Formats: sequence, structure tokens, C-alpha cells
Amino acid sequence: MTVMRSGSSRLSVAGEIMQYLTNTPIVWDRIAYLDRWAAQNGCGAVVTFVGVVRPDRDGQRTVHALFYEAYPQMAERLIQRLMDEARTHWLLDGVQIQHRLGLVEIGQTSVVVVVSARHRAQAYAASQFLVDGIKHEVPIWKREYYDDGTSQRITGTPELLDIADPSGADHAHV
Amino acid sequence: MDVRVRFFAMLRDAAGTEECQLALELGARGVEAKTTLVARYPRLDGLIDYVRLAVNQEYQPWEVPLHDGDEIGLIPPVSGG
Repeated sequence: MTVMRSGSSRLSVAGEIMQYLTNTPIVWDRIAYLDRWAAQNGCGAVVTFVGVVRPDRDGQRTVHALFYEAYPQMAERLIQRLMDEARTHWLLDGVQIQHRLGLVEIGQTSVVVVVSARHRAQAYAASQFLVDGIKHEVPIWKREYYDDGTSQRITGTPELLDIADPSGADHAHV
Repeated sequence: MDVRVRFFAMLRDAAGTEECQLALELGARGVEAKTTLVARYPRLDGLIDYVRLAVNQEYQPWEVPLHDGDEIGLIPPVSGG
């Protein structure tokens, strides 16, 4: 099933239209639209996960925005595969994913995962599988921007930051 | 044979470029590409041990044989979501 986009232009990378990555803010109207779409097909449960940028503290500084970048073509391919796996495994009626790229400010949505299924257990499990898959497999990276004007890449492997930047200096620009 | 290498996130920072072309011996595997890249971009040394290899936008083991025209992606630990 194809989801029509409401009021947002699609991201194009090297002539290829992105289905799941977007440069434009994911507003609540858009999330509600995906919810309504997923609730069709006679399903019994819709689970919507909304990832929101939070103002984490890091010592004296506080996060005020995240910047997301991706290997877009591969990210799209892996997201599509995760969706196909979830659809087959949990017999989903519908599944949609949108992930932001670029600068996302505190309180804004970074990712939306919507799944619909016959029963809630399937929908919950599929939602968790997809969010975990996005976090662990899909080539997307974030950088934290702080209120003191500094920034730092984020990685699940913290020692990597020391190897990448032994001086410990922060980058002021992306 | 020639392959195209794409660097992302902190790998791009370290290499100082988004991509490069790499000339490899016929029959070269991912590991040979890795060695060649570290020789060309010394700042990748150490860092590249944490990197997953992608060939033509699929994760692959470093032992995978490469082919002329392949697109290699160097994928540091991801942090999406």
C-alpha cells in the first residue's frame, strides 16, 4: 500500500526519492495522518512510537538540538527490509516509518514508527523490533548540539570518540 | 579494478573527504581495501576496527571478495532513532 504524503515534499538523494527519510519536520498532523492510515484494513491495534529530542545534560552543557545524517540509499534499503520482516513475522496490516535527517530541535520528532495488527501483542512486539532495528542496524548518525555552542558526535561506542578526536575538542560545525 | 569508497560520520571527519576511488588488485577482499585505506588515510588507523563494511549498500564481512565498480561504505557504529 502506498501512503500519500500530506503537505511535505519528498527528499531526493542523487535522483532517488526517499520513502522513509525526510528533511522536513514531522509535525503532529503528519503523525495523526499515519495513525489514521494504519487504522484502516480492519486491524484491532495501532501502536505509534514517536521519538522526541530531549534536553539531555552533559556536564555543564545541555543538548538543544540533534543533527542527523545518513547513508541514505542504504538506510532506505534496510528500513524497507525491517518493515518487510515485521510485516511477515507479526502479520501486520500496516507499517510506516519516517526518520528525520538534518537539524531536529528539542521537543521535535526524530522518528515515527506506526504499526497496525489484529491484536496489541503483535503490534507492540513489531514496534519494538522496528525501533531497535533502526537504532542498531540502519546507517544513521547523530550529533548533539549544546547550549554553549559546542557539539559532539554520538556513538554507542564511546571510546571511539577518543580515537576519532584525541584532543577532545568539540566541533562547532557539522 | 576500481571501487568507490564512501565515508560517513566520524570516518568522514578522519578521512577528510566524503568519498574516494580505490585501485585494488583483481580478487581483492574487503580486508585489502581496509589496509589500503589506512595507508592512504593514516587517521583511520584504530578507528576502522570499529567499522562495519558495506558493499553495494549491504553489510558484508571484511573477507568478502570485491568486484570492479563496487560501492564500499565504511559504517561506524550507528546512532539513529
